Amino acid sequence: MSALRQGLDWGKLAPLRLRAKSVADGVYAGGHRSRRRGAGIEFGGHRSYVPGDDLRFIDRHALLRHGELLVRQFETETDRTLCLLVDASASMSYCGERAPGAKYAFAALVAAALTKIAVGAGDRVSLDWFGGERTVELATAGGREAFERVVGALETAQPSANMHADLPALERAVARVERRAMRGASVVVLSDLLDLAVGAEEAISSLGVRGKKLTVARVLDPDEVDFPFTGPLHLRAMEGEARVETDAAAARPQYLAALEAQGQRWSERLLSRGGSLVLLNTADDPVKAVRKVLDAVGGVS
Amino acid sequence: MSFLVAAALGVGLLIGLPIAAHLLRRGKARERAFPPTALVPKARSVARERATLEDRALLSIRGLLILCLAVLGATPFVRCSRLSLTRSAGASVAFALVLDDSHSMRARGEGGARWDRALRAGRELLASAREGDAIAIVLAGKPARLALAATMDLNAARRTLNELDESDRSTDLDSAVGLARTSIESLSHHDKRVVLLSDLAGDPLPEGEPALWTPVPDLAKPLENCAISSAERRGRRIAAHVECTSAAAAAGRALQLVGVKTEQPVALAVRAGIQELGLDVDPKLEHPELELTGADALKEDDRAAVAAESAALGVLVAADASNASAETGGPPVLEQALSALGGNTELHPIALLPDDPNEFHGNALLLLDDPGGITPEARGALVAFVEQGGVAVAFLGPRAERTPLGATLDPFVHGAVHWEVKTPSDIDEKSLSWLGPEASGLHDLALRGRAGLSTSDLLGARVLATFSDHQPFLIERTLGRGALYTVALSTSVEHSNFPLRPAFLALLDYFLDEARTRRGATQSVAGTDWLFPLNASVSIEGPHGALAVHERAAPAFGTQKAATPTLTGRYTLRIDATREERVVTLDPSEITTQPQKPPANAAQARANGNGNAGSVDASPEIGFIALALLALELGLRVLRRVRRERATSAGALRSPAE
Repeated sequence: MSALRQGLDWGKLAPLRLRAKSVADGVYAGGHRSRRRGAGIEFGGHRSYVPGDDLRFIDRHALLRHGELLVRQFETETDRTLCLLVDASASMSYCGERAPGAKYAFAALVAAALTKIAVGAGDRVSLDWFGGERTVELATAGGREAFERVVGALETAQPSANMHADLPALERAVARVERRAMRGASVVVLSDLLDLAVGAEEAISSLGVRGKKLTVARVLDPDEVDFPFTGPLHLRAMEGEARVETDAAAARPQYLAALEAQGQRWSERLLSRGGSLVLLNTADDPVKAVRKVLDAVGGVS
Repeated sequence: MSFLVAAALGVGLLIGLPIAAHLLRRGKARERAFPPTALVPKARSVARERATLEDRALLSIRGLLILCLAVLGATPFVRCSRLSLTRSAGASVAFALVLDDSHSMRARGEGGARWDRALRAGRELLASAREGDAIAIVLAGKPARLALAATMDLNAARRTLNELDESDRSTDLDSAVGLARTSIESLSHHDKRVVLLSDLAGDPLPEGEPALWTPVPDLAKPLENCAISSAERRGRRIAAHVECTSAAAAAGRALQLVGVKTEQPVALAVRAGIQELGLDVDPKLEHPELELTGADALKEDDRAAVAAESAALGVLVAADASNASAETGGPPVLEQALSALGGNTELHPIALLPDDPNEFHGNALLLLDDPGGITPEARGALVAFVEQGGVAVAFLGPRAERTPLGATLDPFVHGAVHWEVKTPSDIDEKSLSWLGPEASGLHDLALRGRAGLSTSDLLGARVLATFSDHQPFLIERTLGRGALYTVALSTSVEHSNFPLRPAFLALLDYFLDEARTRRGATQSVAGTDWLFPLNASVSIEGPHGALAVHERAAPAFGTQKAATPTLTGRYTLRIDATREERVVTLDPSEITTQPQKPPANAAQARANGNGNAGSVDASPEIGFIALALLALELGLRVLRRVRRERATSAGALRSPAE
C-alpha cells in the first residue's frame, strides 16, 4: 500500500483541489451552449412540420397567417451531466521513472479539472469507478459542493484490484453510469485500457449510445509509450498472471506495434458508437491533456 | 605427501571462488512490474546468450588457472608420469628405439592400442633427449628394418616416428634387436641403450650388450584372440584356417560368410591352436569374405578375404625316378626335398615338358632334373611360362651332353654342354654366402662330374655362384617377369653329395621364394615383398588405397620394382596388360605366439637406471599452460569490452529516435 501511495505521488500534483482549479482556469472559464434545439426558454425560429413532431409546438398563428404547418423551435442553456468513470485498477498505480506521478494520479487530476470546469458551467457531475479500494461513487450533483465531493473521492480511492478476469465488475460500473447518464450527457472514461477483461471494449463502448457522448481518455506512462528499457528483462503484469522474459532491443518493435494495434482497435470500436479515444501521457502538461479531452467531448466553443 | 604439497594443492580449493562469483553474476534479471506485459513478446536474449557463453568460458579458464597455480605450487613435489632418459653425470646417450610394428601390436587393451602406446612411449623418450644424444629407430615387424640410422638429428627422429604406421607383419624381434645393437655399436657415446617397445610375442630375445630396456611392461600382457589366418576357395567350398590363443577365446564364436544370410555360421571348436573349417559357398559369389562372430582384443583379424582357388604355389617337377632317387627307393630327391621344406606348395610330377603353355597354368616353379633336351614346342611353352612370371630351374646332369637331334637346352644354356668328369671337389662357399649360414657346409662334396658351361652360355646371364675353380655353378637369366636358373649339378646322389647338404634345401627354398615373388602367389603373408621387372608397368590397389611401388636396387640381383603389402586383405594388381588378384594374410605364428617374459637383462637395464617412468618435473609444462590460460582470459575480456562498447554506442544512437 505504501508503494502505491508513493506511486500516486500526490505531492507533485496536489493539493488536487488547487491543481484542478488551476488546470481548469487554464483550460476554460464560462458556460457552453448546446446546439440542440427543442424544448427550452429562448425562441430559436421555425421550421416545417414533419410527421412525428410534438403537436404542442405547432405555431397556430403562423398557420392562420400563412396557411402552412410550422413548428416553433427553442434554444436552451445546457445542463448536461458529466459522467466520470475512472479506472482504479492496480495497473493505474504504475509510475515510471520519467513520469511525475502514477497514472491514477494523473487521471484523478484530469477528472478533477473536468469536474471544476463542468461545475463552473453549471453542469452536474457524477463519479463512478471500476476497480480500486475505498472508492466512493457519487450521484449526479452540481455546484461547489459537488466539486469538493468529487475531489475528496478521488483522493480517498486507492488503485488496486485485478480487472483482468473481472468483466462483471466492469459491466456493473458501466450499468451505473448508464442509469445516471441521460440523453445528451457526456461520459468520460479515464483508464489505461490495459489488462482489462475480454469484452471490456464492448462494455465501455456501449456507453456511447442513446444520445450520450462518450470519450475514453487513455492514460499511459511514458515507459508504456516508448518502452525505453535495455538488456534482458523479466516483466510481470500488475493484473493477471502474465510474465515475460525477453530482450528489450528485440522486443521493442513488436511491443510498440502491439500497443498501436490495440489503440487502433479501441478507436474503431468507439468511433462506431459515436465515441472517441484520446491518448494521454502522464509526462504531458495536464492543461493540454484536459484540453484534448474537452476537444474530444466537443464542449468547447 | 608432505605438508607443503598438501598446502599447495589446497590452493586448488579456491576454485570455488570464481564458481560462486559466476553463480552470483549470472543470476536472472530482476523481475519488474509492467502493466502492458501481455503486449511484450518473448525474445531470447542474444546478448544474454553470448554473456552466458562468455561467462562459462571465463569460469572454465579461471578454474583451470587456479588449478594450474595449485599444481605449479606443488611442483617439484608433484611430478607427472612420463618416460624419460636418465643420465649418468649428464652425459649424452645413444639409444636405439625398437618399435614392434607387427600385427599383434594392433591389439587393444585398457590403455588403447598397443601400437599407439608404444609410439607414445617413443615420443616421450624422444622428448627427453637433448642435443648430443644419438637415436636409431628399428622396426621389429618381419623383416626387421632400420627406419632411421643412428643420428643426432632429433627432428629427423621425430619425423620418422610420425611417419610410422601399424602393420600386419609377423614379429622379428631377434633380428630387430640385433639390428638395433649394430646400429649404435660404432657410436662414440659411452652410454648406449636399446629400448624395446614390443609385446614380446615372438622368438626369445637374444642376450647381449647393451642390455634391453622394456619401459612399458603392460604391452606384454597376454590377450585373448581368434583370427582367420588364411582362407582359400576350393570349388564349392571354402577352406579356412582359424587360430585361437586359448579355448576361452574360441568359446561361443563362429565363422561365417560376410553378407550371406543363407549359410549357417560354422562354430569354432572350443580349443586353442589352429583349426581348419569348411563352408559351402555359391560358385557365382565374387570376392567372398569371411568373418568371425563375437569380439576379441584384435578385431582387425576377425575378417579376411578368401583367396582364389589354388593359392598354394604350384611346382612342376620333372625328375627321372630311376636316376634321381636314393638307392633305398622312394620318390626322386627333388620331390623329397620339396616335401621336407613344407610350406604351402603343391607338387606336380611330370614326365615330359608340356608343349602347351596352358599346361603351366596354376604353377609358378618348374624344376628340371638332368634334362635331356628341350624340343622347340616345349621351349616355346616354357618361354611363355617364364615371361609371365614363372621360374624354371634346370639341374644339369650327364644327359645334358647327349641331347637328341633337334633338341637343345635353350633357353637355359645357348651352346653345347659338356659333362666334365675331372672336377675340383667343392663349390666356392663364399660365392654362395648370400644363401645364408647353410652355405658354409659345402666342402667335401665328392663330385663325380659337373656340367661345364661355356662362355657363350653366360651371355646375358649372371653368375650367382661358382665352383672353387671359378667355373659357374649357378647362373640366372631373366626373361620377362620370370627367371631361368641353371645349376651345373644334377640332383642325383650318384654324382655328388650336394643334394644331401642343407645348402641344397636352402637353394630350393630360394627358388620357391623367387617363384612366389615373381609369379606372385595368390596368397602371401603381410610384409612379403612383391617384386616385378624394372620395365613392367605396375599399379596396385589395396584394401586401404593404392600401394606404393618403388624401385629397389639389390647388389646381387640388379634393380627391380617392388611393393610391400603390410596390411591384410585383397589386392588388385595391374601388371602391364594383365590383372591379378592377391590376398595378403597373417602369419599364423603371429596369432598364437604369446608374449614372453622380459629377459633378465631387461630388468637389469631398468635397475641400472636407463630411464625413468614416473618422476619428471612438470613445472615448465604447467607454467606454460597457466600462461596460455592467462592470455586467453585477457583476450576474452578485451573481446567482451569491445562488444559492450559497441552495444553502448548503438544504444546511444538509438535513444534520440525513440
